[in-house]
Amino acid sequence: MSDAELLSLAGEDVGHGSQVVLPRLSLTLRTGERIALLGQSGAGKSTLLATLRRRLDTDAAWCPQSHGLVPQLAVYHNVYMGRLERHSALANLWNLIRPDRRAWTEIETLCGELGLAGLLRRPVARLSGGQRQRVAIARALYQQRRLFLGDEPVASVDPHQALRLLALIDARHDTSVVALHQRELALSHFDRVWGLRDGRLVLDATTDTLTLDDLDRLYPDADAASSASADETAHG
Amino acid sequence: MAEPTAPGMLHGDSPGLRLARRSLVLVALCIVLLPFADLSVVAHDPWAELSRMATGLALPHWRELSSPLQAIGLTVSVALWGTLLGVLLGFPLALVFFRSRLVRTGCAFVRAIHELFWALLFLQVFGFSAVTALAALAVPYAGIFAKVYAEILEQTPRDAADSLPPGVGRLSRFVYAELPLAWERLAAYTRYRFECSLRASVLLGFVGLPTLGFHLESAFREGHYHQAGALLWLFYLLIGTIGVWGHRRLLPLLAFASLFLLGPWPHVDGDLLWRFLSHDLWPAPLLNGDWAGLIAWLGDIPDLGPAIGNTLLLGLMGTVGALVIALLLWPLASRHFGNPATRLGGRALLVGLRSTPELMLAFIFLLLLGPSMLPAWLALALHNGALIAFLAARHADSLEPGMPGLSASGRYAYELLPRLYPGLLALVFYRAEVIIRETALLGMLGVATLGFHIDSSFQYLMFDQAFFLLLVTAGLNIAVDALARRYRPREVVMDDPCSR
Repeated sequence: MSDAELLSLAGEDVGHGSQVVLPRLSLTLRTGERIALLGQSGAGKSTLLATLRRRLDTDAAWCPQSHGLVPQLAVYHNVYMGRLERHSALANLWNLIRPDRRAWTEIETLCGELGLAGLLRRPVARLSGGQRQRVAIARALYQQRRLFLGDEPVASVDPHQALRLLALIDARHDTSVVALHQRELALSHFDRVWGLRDGRLVLDATTDTLTLDDLDRLYPDADAASSASADETAHG
Repeated sequence: MAEPTAPGMLHGDSPGLRLARRSLVLVALCIVLLPFADLSVVAHDPWAELSRMATGLALPHWRELSSPLQAIGLTVSVALWGTLLGVLLGFPLALVFFRSRLVRTGCAFVRAIHELFWALLFLQVFGFSAVTALAALAVPYAGIFAKVYAEILEQTPRDAADSLPPGVGRLSRFVYAELPLAWERLAAYTRYRFECSLRASVLLGFVGLPTLGFHLESAFREGHYHQAGALLWLFYLLIGTIGVWGHRRLLPLLAFASLFLLGPWPHVDGDLLWRFLSHDLWPAPLLNGDWAGLIAWLGDIPDLGPAIGNTLLLGLMGTVGALVIALLLWPLASRHFGNPATRLGGRALLVGLRSTPELMLAFIFLLLLGPSMLPAWLALALHNGALIAFLAARHADSLEPGMPGLSASGRYAYELLPRLYPGLLALVFYRAEVIIRETALLGMLGVATLGFHIDSSFQYLMFDQAFFLLLVTAGLNIAVDALARRYRPREVVMDDPCSR
């Protein structure tokens, strides 16, 4: 069952409303794949993720780049929001006043694994950037879906922590699509790379066939830098 | 070959120049129309009167006050419950505000009529009672809250709501991902509105409800300036200490306690109420379907054209005056100018002018200068100008001049004003709606605006005429608001809902 297709795009125009960001896009997402999504900012990563999220609906847990946290609410409530749709409005209201006991224990365990132990009552506004990032991941994990969609979920944590967080994500989801900017991490930790450049999917290959240089070609600024240094040598 | 010349003074397409041209057109329009305004000084000896008033303010006679605590209690209770009821009515409306044209129109209408006119209207049914006072505040405030709350909620960041899993209900999404994000701004605006309602509650004394304004008006009118001075100081004290007695934690207690201070409660006669609503408010020819009679009825309304003209003229003069005053006064309270002593004085002056209700200012100027448009103009320009200047100074304090060591005039003209001006002008345009509403109100002091005719129609018990004039006033306000919104500078940093 490992190659069952979860989703497949065949030459579709992808964008927001009538504005096409990724014209005639073709790709396939299979169960069990761990995909790193690369490309410089503005290449269309967030657009692609938003489209996947829309198509996969309730199959996907979602961890946005902006975190989407509510700074005024406690860590507990922010994580709880991952399952807001599974309770009645009344239960949700009451939970704001008095935390639901079962949810509390579950979230306490989850936050413990993410290094957020003892912070459940603290408003998100008073957390550091890295802590907020982990709350956003905790919320995505709390959704308990089979698939994880993350827009730079490990952007603002150190490399060791990034590895640990990705391992946690892997342990709880059989499939994942994660936008990244750490190229090394993409090669070491994922099965496949989708590379976007100028609104096109220019790279769709398994990581065992790729090198860092292949990934460098996704970034026009890297071209400019290398051609500039080539000029230097030519003139020098 | 021609010498290269500097471009004309106001040529160019930078946003700053556009705003400068717009402001100058406004000022020019005001100057051209100024001869049509009655600005004569009628009083015999304004300076003697002014010195007596100043003595009264400097040497207040506290002992002569009869039951000031009761008046203060009622003033605060009416303000607090008027605001609370306004929130209760306005909040649900805010949730549907942008989806219902009917709600928007209704809110624009109730907002466009000043608290005091609502009081005059409710007075006819509920008499001098707590219901009149509360309804006079709660009804227009419901419209204001609905609009401002809706705007605040619309501006909440969407990120949190967008990241929720699919299928979350409307209510859950609202209380988790929208309300907490907007809460602080909603609370700040509600607090500001409470301060406004305190001023309005004082003003209700001018139509005879026994709040602080009732005692103030009679003290001024009878020339007991020492007593009036004491009352004014009490009022400033009340406004100045609002952070202490109106603390968030004290509010529930205050709200509960003030329930017992409200009163008297009227006996409402249902038949009378129905008769008033279905019969008295409407022109008899309209109810009888007599169209010729209706035209005759319209013809009987005195000086409608001049009244509208005066209202608009005074509104324009007030707006331009506020702009000029704000430009002159804001440096007084800003950390970029003067020394600590001048700043303290400047801030006190601005807060004092801002806190004094414009009707009160106009009333004082009226006693000084005699009945003309001048006192009303001064009052509108000073009150609103000071309010805008205060916000501008606060905004200026958050700015850091890029070039240290400039002279004061250089700092004003090159560093600060260019950055402040769009925001300042936007506030002036926001304020234009408030000013035109207050313009009508100043008619109650005898300035021949629409408000003057509304007041006298009520006095002669011609409710149909009063109601018609109220509708005209509301229409005028809505039109001016639409015009101001059209020319308001956009994308400004100093957008403070607490200026509306």
